[in-house]
Amino acid sequence: MALTNPNAHSTRAAGFPIGNRPERGPLLRAQNVHRVLGSREAPARVLKGVSLSIGMHEYVSIVGASGSGKSTLLYLLGGLDRPTLTDDDGVPFDPPSRVFIDEHDTSQLSEQELAQLRNEKVGFVFQFHYLLKEFTAQENICLPMLKLRRLSRPAAMERAAALLEQFGLADKARRRANRLSGGEQQRVAVARALANEPAVLLADEPTGNLDRGNSERVAEIFAQLSSAGQAIVMVTHDTALAAKARRMVTMEDGMILRDRPVSGEPIAAGDVGQAVSN
Amino acid sequence: MRWFISLRYFLTHKRQSLVCIAGVTISVTMFIAMLSMMEGFTDKFIIETVESSGHISIKDEPRETRTPILERAYTHPNALLALEGVKPRDTIKKINNPTGLIRTLETMPGIQAVAPEVYGSVIATYGTKTLNLNIFGVEPEQQIRVTTIGQDVIEGGFARLRTTADGVILGRGVADLLGARLDDSISLSSSTGGKTTARVVGIFQTGVTPVDYSRAYMLLNSAQTLLDKKNIVNEIVIRTDDYTRAEGYAAQIESIAGYRTESWQESNANFLKIFKIQTLITYIITGALLIVAAFGVLNILIMAVLERVNDIAILKSFGLSRNDITLIYLFQGLVIGLVGSALGLLLGKLTIEVLRRLPIEMEGLVKVEGLLMSEHPSQYYSAFISAMLIVLVAAVYPARRAASYDPVEVIRGAH
Repeated sequence: MALTNPNAHSTRAAGFPIGNRPERGPLLRAQNVHRVLGSREAPARVLKGVSLSIGMHEYVSIVGASGSGKSTLLYLLGGLDRPTLTDDDGVPFDPPSRVFIDEHDTSQLSEQELAQLRNEKVGFVFQFHYLLKEFTAQENICLPMLKLRRLSRPAAMERAAALLEQFGLADKARRRANRLSGGEQQRVAVARALANEPAVLLADEPTGNLDRGNSERVAEIFAQLSSAGQAIVMVTHDTALAAKARRMVTMEDGMILRDRPVSGEPIAAGDVGQAVSN
Repeated sequence: MRWFISLRYFLTHKRQSLVCIAGVTISVTMFIAMLSMMEGFTDKFIIETVESSGHISIKDEPRETRTPILERAYTHPNALLALEGVKPRDTIKKINNPTGLIRTLETMPGIQAVAPEVYGSVIATYGTKTLNLNIFGVEPEQQIRVTTIGQDVIEGGFARLRTTADGVILGRGVADLLGARLDDSISLSSSTGGKTTARVVGIFQTGVTPVDYSRAYMLLNSAQTLLDKKNIVNEIVIRTDDYTRAEGYAAQIESIAGYRTESWQESNANFLKIFKIQTLITYIITGALLIVAAFGVLNILIMAVLERVNDIAILKSFGLSRNDITLIYLFQGLVIGLVGSALGLLLGKLTIEVLRRLPIEMEGLVKVEGLLMSEHPSQYYSAFISAMLIVLVAAVYPARRAASYDPVEVIRGAH
């Protein structure tokens, strides 16, 4: 299966502005990000001042032990969650705890605006595919496009069919999501994440629920998407998958331990948290 | 897109959707059928009462009370006046100059017809049977214009009052109780000593039991002689162009006539109050049915939300806002309400038609030979609007609950 960047191709065809995004600041930027979960009495400080920038066309893997805060960071980078702005005493963090998506400060956006930003700029893939079982594979891919309303329904269905074809699932287009195999469902989920030609694909343990064969297939899809210019940020425990990224961020205890390019050398087990059980 | 998702959920989960729709349909059907039955009975009573007794009646009770003669002589407010040995005057109750008043009333706008009446109690005897009844002395030509009594005559004819000396027209119930038939002669005697042998020239049936079982009509002159009320008119009955406006006309007429004037609403205030209470009870029962159906919708939608927490999370992850999620579930409520109510309206109409054709004979306040089903567009509107509102309100909680899920918490497995 040879993947072109479905976004780069159809962005030009559909005239989407994202593909022509001017080179300005980083695509995603975390600035001294703190995230405190739980109650005031028993706060869990999941992120403790993380700063990170992700540029266009980057392929970044975030690794670390379970509980190190990597998934939380991913959700914050994708605007699915918002950073904690003040410390326990109500004093704003200095520098301010902020996440920027394409230069938009997520803490300043309304719920509606943030949802719109996610719809336009971000594609999420999770460990579990979360396909809507009442819909066909093609319809599942269509849904984000119907929300964005840049394409008419027939055009969206056409693009969904094209994406399914690229992912080797052309014959499964009209099959209900719950009638697909696990690997097929995850590939449909990736296609759905790419439906609106997002600026960045955020994947949280995309192979965590797949067997070896399907994991390799997803890894291959990601590699090909990256080669075609798609920005990808991926949280994983899978060493093989993490090694395919061009940059690896290692987290520990809510902070970034290392942030380095992947050299092609074997990755130490400690980097991806293999030793820590879930 | 919200409609697309909503309809797909609705169509995919057919059993849940059908249960919700069935609940709403049955409630709306019951709402319409019960209201139709209740209003049918009320309408029948009102129409029959209004048509058989006239819209307005002027009574022989003057509005202006006479000031005692001493008070007229000594007008000082602090004067102490005392009278001893005063005996009540034996006043004859009547309407003065009824002919002049009738002429004046006939020229009033909105008044269609006016007729004089004299009435009193008599004892009717036929063979061994005796019965107290109210005799009404009328002018047949005028009477048939203010009431439908002419059309209610089922045997004989109202005009025969004019052509038969001492003719009497009996209510169906009166005739049955006496055992009298057309052309039989019955004996009538009043409390003032008047007596006559009257010939039954007609039998009427208004359908209003109290009227049919207590009333008889004679010619005005004959009744005046029988009741010893020579040239006296007790009551003037009026027909207006719109019986629903009778109260307004009555107030206006009272100020002109100077006699107590009663609209049909005032005359039947007790019955109307009972009908109002009955209608209220009907609304409460049918409203309760709708609320039960709404709880069904609420329950099923909550289950649907709980089953689709992951869907909600993923929909939010790719850009649906809280409002979008809320609307998806509100649309489901809307579809359930629309389909359920529409089917309920059709089934309600069908139920009315079926019940209307059931041969059930009843005799209570009114006599009927089948269930009285009334159909007003307002019954359908109110059933539809109530069902839609209640179902939508029921959908609000699940919709808001669905919208409130934090996708991050769902994905982390907190839900």
